[in-house]
Amino acid sequence: MTDGSNLLPGAVTRVPVGLDAPPPTEYRKRRRQIDLVRKFRTEFLFAVGCVIIFLSIFLAVCGAWISPYDPTFSTGDVSVGPPSLKEWPSLLWEALTSDMEKPPHWFGTDSSGLDIFSRTISAPRTDMTIALSSGLLSLIIGTFLGLLAGFYKNWATEILMRVSDLLQAFPVFITAMILVALTGRNTFIIVIALGIVYTPIFVRLTRAEVLSQRTRGYVEAARAVGNSEWVVAIRHVLPNSLVPSLVQTSTTIGFAILLTSGLSFVGAGVRPPTPEWGLMIALGAPEMILGEWWQSVFPGLAISITVFGYAAVGHGLEEDYR
Amino acid sequence: MLQRFVIRRIIIAVFQLIGISLAVFFLIRMLPADPVARIVGMNATPDIIAQAKASLGLDKTVLQQLGNYIGIFSDTKDPGILEGSLGVSWVTGESITEEVGRFLPVTLELITYSLIIALLIAIPTGVVSATRPGGIGDKIVFVWGLFAGSQPEFWWALIFVFFFFYWSFALFGISIAPAPLGRLSPLTDAPDVITGFIVFDALIQGEFEAFVDAAWHLMLPVGTLVFVVSGPIIKMVRQNMVRVLRSDYVLYARSCGLSSRTIGLYALRAAMAPAMTLIGIFYGFLLGGAVPVELIYSLGGLGEYSLRSILYFDYPAIQGTVLTIAMVSLIIYLVIDILHAFIDPRVTY
Repeated sequence: MTDGSNLLPGAVTRVPVGLDAPPPTEYRKRRRQIDLVRKFRTEFLFAVGCVIIFLSIFLAVCGAWISPYDPTFSTGDVSVGPPSLKEWPSLLWEALTSDMEKPPHWFGTDSSGLDIFSRTISAPRTDMTIALSSGLLSLIIGTFLGLLAGFYKNWATEILMRVSDLLQAFPVFITAMILVALTGRNTFIIVIALGIVYTPIFVRLTRAEVLSQRTRGYVEAARAVGNSEWVVAIRHVLPNSLVPSLVQTSTTIGFAILLTSGLSFVGAGVRPPTPEWGLMIALGAPEMILGEWWQSVFPGLAISITVFGYAAVGHGLEEDYR
Repeated sequence: MLQRFVIRRIIIAVFQLIGISLAVFFLIRMLPADPVARIVGMNATPDIIAQAKASLGLDKTVLQQLGNYIGIFSDTKDPGILEGSLGVSWVTGESITEEVGRFLPVTLELITYSLIIALLIAIPTGVVSATRPGGIGDKIVFVWGLFAGSQPEFWWALIFVFFFFYWSFALFGISIAPAPLGRLSPLTDAPDVITGFIVFDALIQGEFEAFVDAAWHLMLPVGTLVFVVSGPIIKMVRQNMVRVLRSDYVLYARSCGLSSRTIGLYALRAAMAPAMTLIGIFYGFLLGGAVPVELIYSLGGLGEYSLRSILYFDYPAIQGTVLTIAMVSLIIYLVIDILHAFIDPRVTY
C-alpha cells in the first residue's frame, strides 16, 4: 500500500478524515480492492466476459496456428455454404478422430474460396492486436499526461487540457478515418490512430482522480518526510489514481474492436486479404442480398460476442468501483 | 443568470470552432499523404504534377494556404471560411458548402428520428426496470442494454436487410422492407426540398405517397440505429432512476404522503438530465459515426460524403465536413446544456 501509513511505523493507520468518513475496513473495500476471484465466482455476467476475453486473447495468439486452412489462400471451393446443423456432430467426430484430407468448411467459404472458419479464428490476431495495443497505448499516455495535468497546474498543462478538449470535440470515426486513410492503411498506423483518439478519455479520468487525491493527507505526509515532487507523484499519487483508468480500459478495448472493424468495413482499415472481421463482413455484404448469409454472419457474430465480453467485464468493474 | 451562461457557452463554442478549424487544417497537412499524386495518377509527368499542384494551390506556402482557407490575406478571389464558404472540392469542382448542404440533412434526418425513437423506448423501459431493481425484468433489461450498446451496427444493418428484404421475399413472396438502395423508390416523385428531411417535406406538402415511401425506406436504417443506441440510454435512465429513487428527497416526498405517481414524475425529471447529455453525445458521435449504416442503405449522407473525400484525399472537403460536424455537435451540446439547466435547477451556470 502506498498511503501514508507505511511511512510512520506504529502510527494509527488510515484515520478517516471528516465526520462522514466510513470506517477503515469498509473504506478500503469500497475504494480500492476488487476481489476478482470472488467476483468471477458470484457474478455470472462478469464470468462470461472473462471467458470471452480469455478466448479472444487465446485466438489472437494461437488462432492462425490451429486454423484448418490458410486464412489468406484460396481453397478452391468457391461460395460453399456451411454444413447443416444435423451434419455437424458426425463431421466433428470425423474431424477429431480421423486425419481428414480436406477438413470440412465449418462456416462455408467466401466468393474467392477462402475458408470462413479459418479466417474468423485467425482474425483476432489483427483485431485484438490493434484493440489491445491501442487501448494500452492510450491508457499509458493518457495516465501519464493526466498525472502531469493534475499534479502540476501551470500554463503548459493548461494548454494540454485545451488540446485534449479539442481532440474530444473531433468526430471520432471521421478522425480515425482521416488518420488511417491519409497515412497508410496498415496495422501500426491504425494502432497509433486509435491510441490518439482514445487518449483524451484517460487524460480526463486520471486528472480528475489526481486532483482529488493530491489534497489527501498521505500526499502531505509523503512530502513531509522529504520525498521529491516526482517521487510523490509517481510512487504515491499515481498508484492511487489508476483505478478509474484501469476500469475504463476494458470498455475502451471493446470500442476499439468496433472502430477497427468499422474502419475496415468502410474501406479505410486494413487491406484485403488480411483476415479481419470488419473486412470479412464487407466482402460478404454484397452476397448477403443474394442469400449467401454465411460470409458476413460468422465474423459479425465474433465481433458481437467479443465486444460484449469486454463491455461486460468493464461494466462489472465499474459497478464495484463506484 | 441563464443569459450569461448561454453567452459564455457560445463564446467558448466559437473558440472551439476556431481551434477545430485550425487543428484540422494542420492535422491533414502534417500527415504524410500526397494528394497530388493521388489525383493525377501514377503515370503523370513532372510537368503535369507541377500543373496540378499549382491549380490546387499546393505550391504556395502553408501560411498562404491557411490564409486562403480562412479568407484573410487571400491571394485568390475565392471566399474563405470567414465569408461563409468552405471552399471548392478538388474532385468534383463544386462548392463544398452546397455539397454539404445537400448531404447533411440526410444524416440529420436519420439521426434525429433514431434518437427520438430510442428515447421514447428507453425512458419507459428504464423507468419500469428501475422500479424493481434486481427483479427478473430489470435483469433482462440490464443485460439487453449492455448487449445492444456493444454491437457492430453495420453487421446488424446487414442482418436486417437479409431478413426483412431477402428472406421475407424468399419465404412469403413480399419484402417487408425495400431494397437498401436509397431514400425513395425509383418510381416515386421526390417532394420539393424544404427542410431536406424527406419524410417531413413530403408530409407538409401533402404528398402522401412519397411520405409513405420515404418512411418505408427509412424504417430499417432508423431501426438499426435505434437498436444500437437505445442500449446505453436504457442503462443510463435505469441507473439514474435507481439512484434518484434511493435519494433523500424521494424519501422526504414519500414521508409527505405524495402519491407514487407524483414521486415517479419528480424522479424521472431528475433522472432525465444525464440521459439528455448522453443523447447529445450520441448526436455528435453519430454525425460522423453513422458512415457504415449510410453506406449499407445507400442513403447518401454526410458520412458517405466524408468517406469519399477522405479516400480521394480531397482536403477542402475533409476540412469542410469536419467543421460542419463539429459545428452541429457544438450547437447540439449547447441546446442540451440549456435544456439540462431547465430540467435540473442544481446546475450551476
